[in-house]
Amino acid sequence: MLESVLNYLKSGVTPGEAGSQLWATIYIVVIVLGVSIAVIAMNWLERKILAHMQIRLGPMRVGPHGLLQPFADALKLLIKEDIIPANADKLVFWSAPVVVTMTAFTTFLVVPFGRTHAVTDMNIGVLFMLGISSLGVLGIIMAGWSSNSNYPLMGSLRSSAQMVSYEVAMGLAIVCAVLMTSLQTGTGTLSMIGIVEAQNAQGTWFIFKFFPLGFLAFVVFAIAMVAETNRAPFDLPEAESELVAGFHTEYSGFRWSLFFLAEYSAMLAVSSIAVTLWLGGWLRPFANTLSGPAWDLAFSLIPGLSFLVMAAGCFLGTIRMPKIVQMRAQVIGLGVFGALLGFVGLVLLLPGVRERVQDIFWFVAKVACFMYLYIWYRGTFPRYRFDQLMKVGWKVLLPIGLGVLILTALVGMRQELHDMLAAVVGGTR
Amino acid sequence: MSLTPFLGKVLMVDLVKGLSVTFHNQSEKERITEQYPLERPVVFARYRGQPRLNVNPETGESLCIVCNLCALACPEQLIVVKGERNPATKRKEVVSWTYDLSRCMFCGLCAEACSTDALELTQDYEMALYSREGMVLDQAALERGPEPVRYAK
Repeated sequence: MLESVLNYLKSGVTPGEAGSQLWATIYIVVIVLGVSIAVIAMNWLERKILAHMQIRLGPMRVGPHGLLQPFADALKLLIKEDIIPANADKLVFWSAPVVVTMTAFTTFLVVPFGRTHAVTDMNIGVLFMLGISSLGVLGIIMAGWSSNSNYPLMGSLRSSAQMVSYEVAMGLAIVCAVLMTSLQTGTGTLSMIGIVEAQNAQGTWFIFKFFPLGFLAFVVFAIAMVAETNRAPFDLPEAESELVAGFHTEYSGFRWSLFFLAEYSAMLAVSSIAVTLWLGGWLRPFANTLSGPAWDLAFSLIPGLSFLVMAAGCFLGTIRMPKIVQMRAQVIGLGVFGALLGFVGLVLLLPGVRERVQDIFWFVAKVACFMYLYIWYRGTFPRYRFDQLMKVGWKVLLPIGLGVLILTALVGMRQELHDMLAAVVGGTR
Repeated sequence: MSLTPFLGKVLMVDLVKGLSVTFHNQSEKERITEQYPLERPVVFARYRGQPRLNVNPETGESLCIVCNLCALACPEQLIVVKGERNPATKRKEVVSWTYDLSRCMFCGLCAEACSTDALELTQDYEMALYSREGMVLDQAALERGPEPVRYAK
């Protein structure tokens, strides 16, 4: 038993490649748990960071610094009355949140958290992710339609229009990255793992490839992905001032929380596409300039050390908490949380663990940057008007995407073009 | 379109400016929310709150000489001072002193009129009560002054 586990861990392949259903199931369970925890953490972080950006404090009372607020909210949502509007299409109303959540979670099948840390390495990975995440629109339209109410319907129609228009620009940006994968080998790949390995082989992340081109494609994608997940400043489908809450106006309790879960896991999913395609996936930063075994060791220590720093932050927090009887439980809670983080940090410092976990850490750290960006945008930008949204999608992002695609192709083929031109010139001579 | 605004638009200068504003707002120095019962707001020096009748700190005698100026100054006529002459000291002494806080608008004219600085509007702002009964303060309550609940920080 133990031997087979160790054998698998040493083999260095994904469960899909190993053909092991058991390991695939384990990976899926771990990923579902991990994404759920990430969504819970995101809930708290978003409220905290947004509050700090607006010079507020955010949740402070439920647990130390409001750390238990997401759990309190989840409990509240679970025990809320489950309301289905009288004239709603019950079956569709019931299945819409299921569709949205399923699609949001299914995309994580091909997300490579590391060379061996993906459920499977699909040869059409990017296509699969895009296709499945576009299916989320279906759930949103179902929700809006079945509610039999004006605001949800408007919200869902806006959402579909927005997603369809931004998917075009997004697709063009992705094709740029896929083109770049074919540069050295001659054959491009749509496999998520293949794309990261191509970046490893070419010795550069695609964001820096052909300097302005890769960066521009990334920017197009980064804007389109915010629109794709209906987040501020493109959150027209749920514009509070106009549509109450958009497509989930009629939803309450647990069904509503499924939409919430789906929205945040969709954000995680598109961020992980961006990280895989342009930011080198699980590859550590500065792999070229700071190479060598010493640097490798130093970088492999960072995951554990960062957890230790977080733990130190928690302990500092316990010292700075008000020293009164009413806050004692909170101080102890924060101390325990810090101890937990410190323990995780120490485990991550073990040699066997840190080798296996550091690629997950780099991937998650990059995705976390995107999550911060999402919150930052939400705290900063006002919502676009619908015509402005369409203008940005069709008149700005689409031409830029097309231009970058053509230029990438030309620059990538410059040797061949040069040869061809030389042959033509030579032939006429 | 001239070049500079065009470049600014392409490079999204305005958006970056906005982002930097929200980023800097995150620092703890910028925070203005107070955790009220734990952190008490610092009110302005001339804030007028709950009234207090001052006593001579050495002898514990009331500073009030029952001149009735505060009652005359009060536009709401909510101060009622009654006193009688003490034949031994030949001074007027307070018999009853009431201050109806429920009608007070904290104009501060009474404290201004006070010739001995006995009546003072303190900086305390926690005057909420569950009923109207406690709103009429007598001499003892006024001399005790405000007793805010302190939460140690």
